[in-house]
Amino acid sequence: MSGSANVGVHVDHARDEDPAKMAEFEAKINAGELLEPDDWMPQAYRQGMLKMAEHHANSEIIGALPEGEWITRAPSLRRKLALTAKVQDEVGHGQMLYRVSQDLGKSRDQMLRDLITGRTKYHNVFNYPAPTWGDIAMIQWLIDGAAIMNQKTLADGAYGPYVRTMKRINMEEAFHFKSGEDMVLTLMSGTKMQRQMGQEAFDRWWYPALMFFGPPDKPHAEQLPPMRWRMKTVTNDNLRRRFINRFAPAAIDLGLKIHVVKKDDNGMVIERKPDENLRLDETTGNWSFTQPDWDEFYRVIRGNGPCNAKRLALRRFSYEQGRWVRHAILRGNAGLPPAA
Amino acid sequence: MITLPDNLKRPFADLLLAVADDKLMLGHRNSDWTGLAPILEEDIAFSSLAQDEMAHAQALYQLIAGLIGTSADALAFGRKSEAFRCAAIVEAPDEFDWATAICRQFFCDHFDRLRLRRLARSSDKPVADLANRLAAEEQIHVEHVDSWMQRLGRGTDESRQRMQKALDRLAAIAPSLFEPIEHEHELVAADVYPRAETDMFETWRNELEQIANDSSLKLDLHPPSPQTIGGRRGKHTEHLPPLLDEMCEVYRLEPNAAW
Amino acid sequence: MSNVREQSHPSNGDLTSPAEGDLKPYVVFTQLNRGDPHMYAGCVDAADQQMALQFAREHYGQDQKCVNIWVVPKEAVTATNYDTDLIWRHTDQTYRLARGYSKPVKDKWRKLRRAEDLKEYEKDDLKETF
Ligand SMILES: [Fe+2]
Ligand SMILES: [Fe+2]
Repeated sequence: MSGSANVGVHVDHARDEDPAKMAEFEAKINAGELLEPDDWMPQAYRQGMLKMAEHHANSEIIGALPEGEWITRAPSLRRKLALTAKVQDEVGHGQMLYRVSQDLGKSRDQMLRDLITGRTKYHNVFNYPAPTWGDIAMIQWLIDGAAIMNQKTLADGAYGPYVRTMKRINMEEAFHFKSGEDMVLTLMSGTKMQRQMGQEAFDRWWYPALMFFGPPDKPHAEQLPPMRWRMKTVTNDNLRRRFINRFAPAAIDLGLKIHVVKKDDNGMVIERKPDENLRLDETTGNWSFTQPDWDEFYRVIRGNGPCNAKRLALRRFSYEQGRWVRHAILRGNAGLPPAA
Repeated sequence: MITLPDNLKRPFADLLLAVADDKLMLGHRNSDWTGLAPILEEDIAFSSLAQDEMAHAQALYQLIAGLIGTSADALAFGRKSEAFRCAAIVEAPDEFDWATAICRQFFCDHFDRLRLRRLARSSDKPVADLANRLAAEEQIHVEHVDSWMQRLGRGTDESRQRMQKALDRLAAIAPSLFEPIEHEHELVAADVYPRAETDMFETWRNELEQIANDSSLKLDLHPPSPQTIGGRRGKHTEHLPPLLDEMCEVYRLEPNAAW
Repeated sequence: MSNVREQSHPSNGDLTSPAEGDLKPYVVFTQLNRGDPHMYAGCVDAADQQMALQFAREHYGQDQKCVNIWVVPKEAVTATNYDTDLIWRHTDQTYRLARGYSKPVKDKWRKLRRAEDLKEYEKDDLKETF
């Protein structure tokens, strides 16, 4: 899952670039052409793409952790296999996106080190807890669902290696989303306890899903470099509107109630009430809703979410624990013996 | 197809349970590495191997379920510890030590390849067909794990020491895989579990020692000792009950529900 | 969840592992059916070709049926440059393509042959080259 909508790539206006080359570059972008790593591009674009792909890669491998906790507890053989394969896919996405970033000039080892020492970030959504099996269902339905909507638009971007990777990733996301739908449908048509589990998990994930697309856009977002250069192609608010229009009515039909919630420091819901702003505007066809708590969003991004420390610590443990293995094959005599 | 005489049904189910339970526990342990392995590419590869083990278990449980009238999920999630037939080595946790995970897989994959090849000659056609297909996948596992033994055994002093330590620790319980199930000799006599062409323990020991030698590692294997066996008759190590509690945590919330 | 995932590990402070850099990149090509061309699938980082092949099988060979895989060290790939290496010429190339002849040939035939005879005759043309 994941996506880089809320990476907040800050790209400086490239004042010191050769204006002729710059014009040619922007003409290529406007013509819908794909850029390749060896093409001329402004320094700011290269740095911005690296930052975006690296953030996305980080998000994939951190995103493997909350669901990874449930592989050993999945309640049937089929679900156990599917969840393992799903988390494995996320690792694969991370691998492919690190490759895009490596080709932009940064080593994977350095990216992993920057991630686990807090120098670079990953997607905010993975700083929330997944305390029940219901969360696994909701993550795969809502968050992978949001990721697909986002990544589909990223596949319309301009940077060739990233676009091609998005296309490959989206094929796998389709499986994640379908298996998420299957789990949500099973829970919500199950026993009273299962439906309650589903509702409680939904209450935990609905707002993180809305925040998934990033904060409200700056004015004239379309003219700022990330969109002008087709690093992203749709604004955060537009993506969020599409998401709500698709998922709010589906949730209602599943028998879920959409709540505005208050959470404690561990990300658990302590208060909830129906979202009174939630309704379909017949004239525009859009659903209105109560905005997420953006203060919470920035608090979590700054490192104070319920699971920030836990996610980083486990990823760091994995890195440190694997040191001797990587060292043996990088520096040691770890070739295979000659064939007999 | 010959129908199995009634007195062999239970032993046959036990034999297949031993195969399936070994694979489920091994796959369960290994799948926990998904997202945490030392290299991203190997994370993906090792997870595929774990999925294979669990998928093999599922296919076997389906056969057994047909034989004794239950479901694959009920076999995997609905039994008490003493009804499992797995061996001590697959119950052993690895605490995310890569050397332990690889060595455990090394002992088990070589054993499983031999066991499945034997089952592939079974007079029971459905089991023989399935075992034949699974043995082909086991071959991929053996090649994968052998190359890790060799690379890490030969890598650096540190990697060799870590591998040697894990190998020694597991070599003490690995032969538990060979503990026979109850009434196994009757299954052998009826050709349902045909006799191995050469002594299975010797073959296994030779294969493993060969790879260990290529890997600058020492390996000393002895036939199973009475202290390490019991798993095939439902007497398990202290690691199995907590493993099952974890594995069945959600299932047990509502055992009759669909999940 | 398993013990190790549950335990708390240090989340800050210096890393004990030194920076070591990356393994070597290999380009992966997969073939979906015997006889099909191998297609670019992605990359894996590995210590050598056998390791690259082993990784590629599990990474790129499992999302759809796949029958064969090639891995090539990335450094072994030499490529042209979009801006400086002209490949397809600027001048009119229709003289070396079948489609450069379709209209004039048709016009000339029409003067000599009946439409249905021509149609019958054209059936054996390689349509996809026009
Ligand atoms: Fe996903
Ligand atoms: Fe993903």
